[in-house]
Amino acid sequence: MHKSNNSRHGLAKRHLTAIGWLLVMCFVASSARAELLIRITEGANSAIPVAVVPFAESGAMPAGDKVSSIVQADLTMSGEFKPLDPSKMLSLPSERSEVYFRDWRMLGQRYVLVGQLTNNSGKIEARYELFDVNREQRILGETAAAPAGNVRSLAHHISDRVYEAITGEPGAFSTKLAYVTLSGSGKNSVYRLHVSDIDGQRSKVRLESDEPILSPSWSPDGKKLAYVSFETGKPAIYIHELATGKRTKAADFPGLNSAPAWSPDGQSLLMTLSKDGNAEVYEKNLASGRITKLTNHWAIDTEAAWDHAGKGVFFTSDRSGGPQIYYMERPGAEARRLTFGSRYNARPRPDSKGEYVYYVHQRDRSFHIARRNLKTDEEFIVTRTGTDESPSVSPNGRMLIYATEQGGKGVLTVVSADGGAAYSLPASEGEVREPAWGPITR
Amino acid sequence: MKGHERDTVNKENVSLKSPVALSLGLHLMIVVVALAGWSWTNPVQEPEPRSISARLISPEPKPSPVVDEKDQRDEAEKREQAAEKQRQKDEAERKKAQQEAERKAAEKAAQEKARKLEQERKQQEAKAREKAEQQARAKEAARKKAEAEAKERERQKAEQERKRQEEAKRKAEEEKKRQEERRRAEEAERKRKEEQARKEAERKRKEAERRLREQQLNALAEEAEQARESEARRQREAAAARAREAQMLTDSEKYQALIRDRLAQAWYPPASATENMVARLQITLLPTGELQSVSLVSSSGNTAFDNSALSAVRSLNRYPVPGDRDTFERYFRQFTIEFNPKRLR
Repeated sequence: MHKSNNSRHGLAKRHLTAIGWLLVMCFVASSARAELLIRITEGANSAIPVAVVPFAESGAMPAGDKVSSIVQADLTMSGEFKPLDPSKMLSLPSERSEVYFRDWRMLGQRYVLVGQLTNNSGKIEARYELFDVNREQRILGETAAAPAGNVRSLAHHISDRVYEAITGEPGAFSTKLAYVTLSGSGKNSVYRLHVSDIDGQRSKVRLESDEPILSPSWSPDGKKLAYVSFETGKPAIYIHELATGKRTKAADFPGLNSAPAWSPDGQSLLMTLSKDGNAEVYEKNLASGRITKLTNHWAIDTEAAWDHAGKGVFFTSDRSGGPQIYYMERPGAEARRLTFGSRYNARPRPDSKGEYVYYVHQRDRSFHIARRNLKTDEEFIVTRTGTDESPSVSPNGRMLIYATEQGGKGVLTVVSADGGAAYSLPASEGEVREPAWGPITR
Repeated sequence: MKGHERDTVNKENVSLKSPVALSLGLHLMIVVVALAGWSWTNPVQEPEPRSISARLISPEPKPSPVVDEKDQRDEAEKREQAAEKQRQKDEAERKKAQQEAERKAAEKAAQEKARKLEQERKQQEAKAREKAEQQARAKEAARKKAEAEAKERERQKAEQERKRQEEAKRKAEEEKKRQEERRRAEEAERKRKEEQARKEAERKRKEAERRLREQQLNALAEEAEQARESEARRQREAAAARAREAQMLTDSEKYQALIRDRLAQAWYPPASATENMVARLQITLLPTGELQSVSLVSSSGNTAFDNSALSAVRSLNRYPVPGDRDTFERYFRQFTIEFNPKRLR
């Protein structure tokens, strides 16, 4: 193209002119037709009504855990769905032929999930179908199976599939949570690191210590946790392999060793170290063990996190006098301040798409979780409980978990990323804090 | 049938047997009687000497047959002469003869009586024979008659059978003929009808052509007339239309806003929606506001997003539309809805 001679260039120019005229004529023609166009730029400001019909069961089912109830709870927790109370259902279909769309439409439902469970010699098999009530179409029809002792995994899987079929986003109901509990007080304090389902069920203690455990962070493959433990009497960063329980020290420098955060590729760990005198953000390459200093400021720089692409870094710095959120387009580049208008903005947690960053935000002496649109710089208060901290975004960016206080006790609450319905995880013993939402693993 | 026939034959055998036996018996009887009679009558039938009867008649003989009288007179003379001489002798002889005669007469009377009896018997026998013969003849006649009748019956039967068959054959032929005729008649009728239909069609076609020509002519005339009128009307209406147009546009805007609100409430943009996603749907409504059809004319590229838009459009039971039919037809019969989230939560 660059080497084209003049005549060819002229020809192309004439073609362009012709195409231009054609476009103009098309525009004229279409505007002459002037068919009415109505633009819808806003949607309903509420959760989607969906009916999760109790699944039909054949064969012995494990007591307690009802698959459809778990699915219903999952969808409710997401804040994006408003499942219909089964007692209000006019019928309990378990397959397509039994679904009367008119009835569900009358009940105002948008989607209906039906299914059947079969116990096939200790293995629970689920057949499930999801219908769009208005379009009267099946949008999902699958089977899945799990051992009888693992129906919760089966249920979360179904929730994921339903969520994805409706929203176009992968569901995050099968992911895991890590969090820390504190029981007892003073000399009797016991800190425990837990890993559980995202609804708080099937919690397992991975580490128990008399000393504080802080800032758990998931490796991208979901197999390891990095955290800060004071078990030696001073903070150090550990990497904990969940399958084997094997632990390795990632940082144990003099002074501060805190706020570990995995890179999206799992190759390195961001951390805050004060080994050089002042708290700065460093990157440690896990393969080589080489440590690189990313920030260099006399103020405190901490709580770093990679952006969704693994290129830029968000962190908290009090270089303006109070903690604020900053962003470096690449390590070592000049940091840009993102948050203004509040004395306190800390602990940035970007989503996986590069659209938003979440952080703890103080307003009127209360602490909330705020969300900032990275394109428009619009700030939105997601939570309003009052003493909210430690935000962690679900891997699909649609939910947020954070620690807050309820009745003077620390609990974890899940909220939809747009601030919809909140769902508090069942309280375990003592205080619950420092939640970290695990990745989607396949 | 066969049994019946055999039965009939047996009966005939029986009825035939008894007359034959009877007849044979009778004949035998007749022969016997005849033979007996024959041996009895033979001597009786022997003729008596004629002379005795003639001469022995009394002095006053009864008139004898003519031949006898003449003979007697010729000889009387001669005899008279000799008679006297002989008288004495004769007298004695006469007396003797008389006695003899008397004896003989008695004998004769007895013989006569026997003969008469014999004759009567014979007559009776003849009569009986006659009667038997008559009976036999009658029997024979009856038999023959019966045979003849049987034969006749047989013949008649055969004849009837033949006639019946002939009749059947005739009837079959007649039937065939009749059917043939009917077929021909039907064929003729069909052809006639076809012809009629063809003629009718032809007539109609011509009629239609004629009417068309008339209509064309009329239309031409009307067209000219209408062209004049319509021009005037058009100018009159143009002014009214402009006013009305403005009114319709105002109405249209009102209902557009209503539809926009309803759809915004019914639309759940999916989690995966972004602000640069645009889905365009063309919808067709009924004048009642009911959705007739919807089609995705331009996809956002995100299935969940497209589906959310389709679901929203289908979720409205009734679209708010203007009651005015013209405004409806103009703007709301068919229009496009664009889903493009500008303010995602």
